[in-house]
Amino acid sequence: MFEDLVRTTAYKKGMPRQRFTFVPHPVWGKPASVHREYIEGKDPITGKPVMQEIIEALTKTLTEEEKKTGFLERAEPRLVGSDTPENLQQLFLRNGWTDGLPIILPTEKKVAEMLKRTSHRPDKVVGKMRPSPPHEAWAYTVEKVAINAVMAGAKPEYFPVILAIASTGITSLFSSTTSFARMVVVNGPIGDQIGMNSGMGAMGPFNHANATIGRAWTLMSRNLSGGGMLGETYLGSQGNNLSYNNVCFAENEVRNPWKPFHVQKGFKPEQNVVSIFTGWSIIHSFGSAKKEFHHQIGSLLGSFCPYSSGTSVAGALVLVDPLVAKDLKEVQGFDTKEKLSEWLHKNTLITVEDYWNSGLVSTFTLPQAQLGVEPFASWLKLPKDALIPRFLSPKEINVIVVGGETNAFWQAGDFRYIGSASVDAWR
Amino acid sequence: MKKRINWLLIGMFFVMSLLVGSVAGTLAVGAEEAKITVLNPRGQPPSVPLVPMAVRLDTLDGKTVYFVDVRFEGGKSFLLEMKDWFAKNMPKVKTVFREKAGPYMDDDPKLWAEIKEKGDAMIMAIGH
Repeated sequence: MFEDLVRTTAYKKGMPRQRFTFVPHPVWGKPASVHREYIEGKDPITGKPVMQEIIEALTKTLTEEEKKTGFLERAEPRLVGSDTPENLQQLFLRNGWTDGLPIILPTEKKVAEMLKRTSHRPDKVVGKMRPSPPHEAWAYTVEKVAINAVMAGAKPEYFPVILAIASTGITSLFSSTTSFARMVVVNGPIGDQIGMNSGMGAMGPFNHANATIGRAWTLMSRNLSGGGMLGETYLGSQGNNLSYNNVCFAENEVRNPWKPFHVQKGFKPEQNVVSIFTGWSIIHSFGSAKKEFHHQIGSLLGSFCPYSSGTSVAGALVLVDPLVAKDLKEVQGFDTKEKLSEWLHKNTLITVEDYWNSGLVSTFTLPQAQLGVEPFASWLKLPKDALIPRFLSPKEINVIVVGGETNAFWQAGDFRYIGSASVDAWR
Repeated sequence: MKKRINWLLIGMFFVMSLLVGSVAGTLAVGAEEAKITVLNPRGQPPSVPLVPMAVRLDTLDGKTVYFVDVRFEGGKSFLLEMKDWFAKNMPKVKTVFREKAGPYMDDDPKLWAEIKEKGDAMIMAIGH
């Protein structure tokens, strides 16, 4: 019923006394007869008849509170305590400032050590972050990022990488009932310099840098934007386990037979970069019955959801072990990642009927088609069995090399690339 | 001899008591000193300008009420049922149904301008 979400959103928009009426959930997927029952029934929160509430909301005289002007101020104190470490751990947990796990308490001494690893002033604003578009954006400083980095257990030498992630302003806990996940990939010499893992087990819980950098992003997403508050700023119905660490790893540039990802995006090889991806899930290569790797990948990418909204499109991220990359290049002839993406784009088609029946497509893409946006407007006129691309362009299919060559496996996620940020800018 | 031993024992007991008391006191002081202050991890929420609510109508009879569907799944059907309810139960209310342009998170200034000019009230159905 989203009462908490509705009331806190209205509060943050400056309307703490906005008048609402609720009906039972869900409305989506119910026939008109059920909608009629909702309308003729009662508000499940107040117990009042729905239509009586709506009419009163439109006609009852405003209270003095509802007429108020001015500002809502919400200053946050700089310090917390003093109390015993055990009590502070419980306070942080109760306040929703952690990921449910114990944290390293951010004493002034520990934070000062972290701050030594950047040339930027502690009070410099790094960026603004919001849980999702309707929510307000909070500003945060270098010091605030350092506090969350300490909490995650990160070493000071990881701090420029964490600052780079923070500078994107992208939350790792995007609020959607679909339970989004994020991924962060590090490129450049810094991966080795700070001991990140790009080889065997790189996407698993085996490396301090991978683990704590990814964790810092989750903590930042909770604390720097007010995100992750269940029912208010996080509505993922099931949640996403990838959110603990956001699949943080370094690309295996040494064993990669192609260009590193950041070079594909226009950076120089010696530059240090973080790249952010958003999606929901990762699948393993075992699901395909095909022989050649590119056919395997194509068959499993065919299960990914196609959609395009005004601000985002469906994407795929293929994570190949260096053994698979070597085969794709030397045996199958894909001498660049781009050529593989182009082949996958051409060979992951979908029928027009299946496309328009997809839930996200009907919510996000159909309105655009109806407004005449191409190619969607033209796709509306095609016969049901016509084939169209699942992904709008080859650029939406990205390839990253990661793994330790214990076997020729690959994984793929329904992750699209959002953007990259320089680590060097934060040293 | 016996008396000397007794005094010795009493003296030893007294010294031991002092020692135990001192250690206990040190521990108590140590526990109190174990309190620490840490830094607040929260970012800074913005100052929010209050928006006063629009003046209410004395009656809906003779007024125009807009029903706005933000294009979230099911919203159109729901609002059309509500429009139908008004037609049956409050026929003196003029009702207008509109779908907002674009997906549900997009703004629609043209529609807001129309409602401001021609409407007296608006009911918007919002889903998630």
